[in-house]
Amino acid sequence: MVSTWRNMSPRTRREALEGYLALLPWIIGFLAFTILPVGISIYLSFTEWDIMTDPKWIGLDNYERMFTNDPLFTQSLKVTGKFVLFSLPLKIILGLALALLLNLKVPGMNFYRTVFYIPAVISGVAVSLMWMWLLQPDTGIINTLLDQVGIKGPNWFWDPDWALPSVALMSVWKVGGSAIIYLAGLQNIPQHLYEAAKIDGAGRWARFRRVTIPLLTPTIFFQLVIEMIDSFKVFTEAFVITQGGPLKATFFYLLYFYQEAFENFNMGYASALALVLTAIILISTVILNYTSKRWVFYESE
Amino acid sequence: MKFVRTILVLLVLLTPVVSAVEVSAQDTVTIEWWSVNSEEYSEEAQRALAEAFMAEHPNIKVNLTILPESGFQDKMTTTLGAGEGAPDVAFFWDTNWYPQALDLTAYIEADPDLGPETYFEGFWKTRAVWQDKVVGLPLGVGANFVMYNKDVFDAAGVAYPTDDWTTEDFIRIASEVADPDIKRWGGDRPRDAYRAIWNNYGAFLYSDDSTTVDGYFNSEANIAAYTWLWDLVASGATPTPADIEILGTEGTGPVDLFMAGRLAMATLNQGHMLNAIEAGVPFGIVPEPQVPGNERYVNAWSLTSSIWAGTEHPDEAYEFLSYWVGPEGQRFLMENGNLFPSIPEVLAEYEYADQDYAQAFFGVLELKQVAEWKNEHPCFGTVNRAVSDVWDLVELGEIGRDEIASTLNDYMDDAQAALDECVPRLGG
Repeated sequence: MVSTWRNMSPRTRREALEGYLALLPWIIGFLAFTILPVGISIYLSFTEWDIMTDPKWIGLDNYERMFTNDPLFTQSLKVTGKFVLFSLPLKIILGLALALLLNLKVPGMNFYRTVFYIPAVISGVAVSLMWMWLLQPDTGIINTLLDQVGIKGPNWFWDPDWALPSVALMSVWKVGGSAIIYLAGLQNIPQHLYEAAKIDGAGRWARFRRVTIPLLTPTIFFQLVIEMIDSFKVFTEAFVITQGGPLKATFFYLLYFYQEAFENFNMGYASALALVLTAIILISTVILNYTSKRWVFYESE
Repeated sequence: MKFVRTILVLLVLLTPVVSAVEVSAQDTVTIEWWSVNSEEYSEEAQRALAEAFMAEHPNIKVNLTILPESGFQDKMTTTLGAGEGAPDVAFFWDTNWYPQALDLTAYIEADPDLGPETYFEGFWKTRAVWQDKVVGLPLGVGANFVMYNKDVFDAAGVAYPTDDWTTEDFIRIASEVADPDIKRWGGDRPRDAYRAIWNNYGAFLYSDDSTTVDGYFNSEANIAAYTWLWDLVASGATPTPADIEILGTEGTGPVDLFMAGRLAMATLNQGHMLNAIEAGVPFGIVPEPQVPGNERYVNAWSLTSSIWAGTEHPDEAYEFLSYWVGPEGQRFLMENGNLFPSIPEVLAEYEYADQDYAQAFFGVLELKQVAEWKNEHPCFGTVNRAVSDVWDLVELGEIGRDEIASTLNDYMDDAQAALDECVPRLGG
């Protein structure tokens, strides 16, 4: 039963007050830096605002334009959707594969773990510039190596058919970060379950399929949600390397948002774009959460 | 009691001192000046300039804050948008900030030493005047021109380009001097449409009154400009966009390729010119190629330096601004940095003004500027984005030469829609 303030003892009241006092900095921060900006964004999405003059209320015009008369919105959504569908499975599978490798008991493993984690902490701009060099069609190392084995490499970022896969390839390079999360999940799986499965005659593959994967599903679910949100927010690669081209093949949603807000000074419309993206991410997360009841298993179940 | 009396006496004695300090503080006005650090005007030079100004104006204290370029852009946008916290004096390099700049018309009219005639006409038009108001003063000048590597031309046995060359000459000379066997390109390609060469063809994106793209985006002039680009790409004498992106230098131009002798001609700027001098690369300068019978343009720039409309000290701010961007300040930054002044009289004092390259550079500054049209048309970027696929299609070789006109027509609706959406918002 929840105690009411009136029937609390003085000591309990003091403790409760102290608790709220301790929470106060977070509450103030949350209100000032999350709730307030979100509230202002919602308001601005119904306005026309060029930053320099006062916002002008225009009702639903921004949303109407977005859904009925804005080919760039459709294009950016299509490109970002494709990127999520293409890069998300890659990141999930390769992150898990890397974690399995990093979970092997071989000498110097801490060194390898550190090495694979480094890309996750390097600045996105630096990584983008590096990949631009690596994937340069004529002088880049990737095409040079492909050339050595008789394959003519594509034009990567500079080919409308290859630009999006190139950005997806880049994003895979950072799987070291998610591999560390998987690794923590792998190391939390009790050893006795493997031993029991072994006694029952389960081979390596069966142990992986029947023990590792089911007990790792909470981690996979967590990674799926986080990586999905991350994929929707792809920006730096397009901003630094392609500027959305060629032929708008990498015209990502956040690049469009950025251009509208800070280059086109259309802050009201940009706010509407941001809210629609938030809604898309929210709906996708709810759907994932709903499906998780069928495939995510917890040890206690 | 003795102690209390002592304190009282001390207070009485200190009162005139405190008052004097207060009076002195009231007489001194502090001006906030935000700037950035660059090769043209280093932080050290700017601080020295502020000191020199303060020595001449003891009643004005200039508080200089140097910001990184990206931080400058963000801080200016947010403080101007918020209407508080903006600096008294700063670069207003974004035309969207102009509404927040103090109208200097009255100051300029009353100033016997400074006026439109002080500066290069083109830079006054594009960087000082906006909507019939004087929103700032132009600091320094920069411009694009074609630099050619004399060693490469001599080795190929090709004559140097001359000032009166045409766009057709550009492709011909680039093809002659290019040598695929040693991976040497003849000339670079423009990085975007509607810069000097497009304007030289008489091609503009939409009408001057910002109402229609019909007759402009699909005009004969625009078709001719895109056809020229198509011919240049097809010539094979120019690096691919990937080569330019990688081997160029931080998005400013392929100066490294040029200096290495792998690109015979490159569209560069005065900063690159100084790099080439320092590296001992023999070079010449010509304006971007012309189209016979048409007006010739230059892609040029300067930094609009303004006073924030919300300043509490407009007179003192103008005092400083007119020193900083006037002859004294620009001369100081030229002598203590790499600034090329926007004041012809001061530019003439440049140490190497008699050199051919300097004369050629000064010559392009007299041409009509691309920015003249663009500054008056804030929707250019929005409309150009809507049709940027045309540029990509030509650059990628995805359309034939005879398909250019029809491709432009295919994008007419997108261009018009972008214009119609933008003009009510940003003006035309």
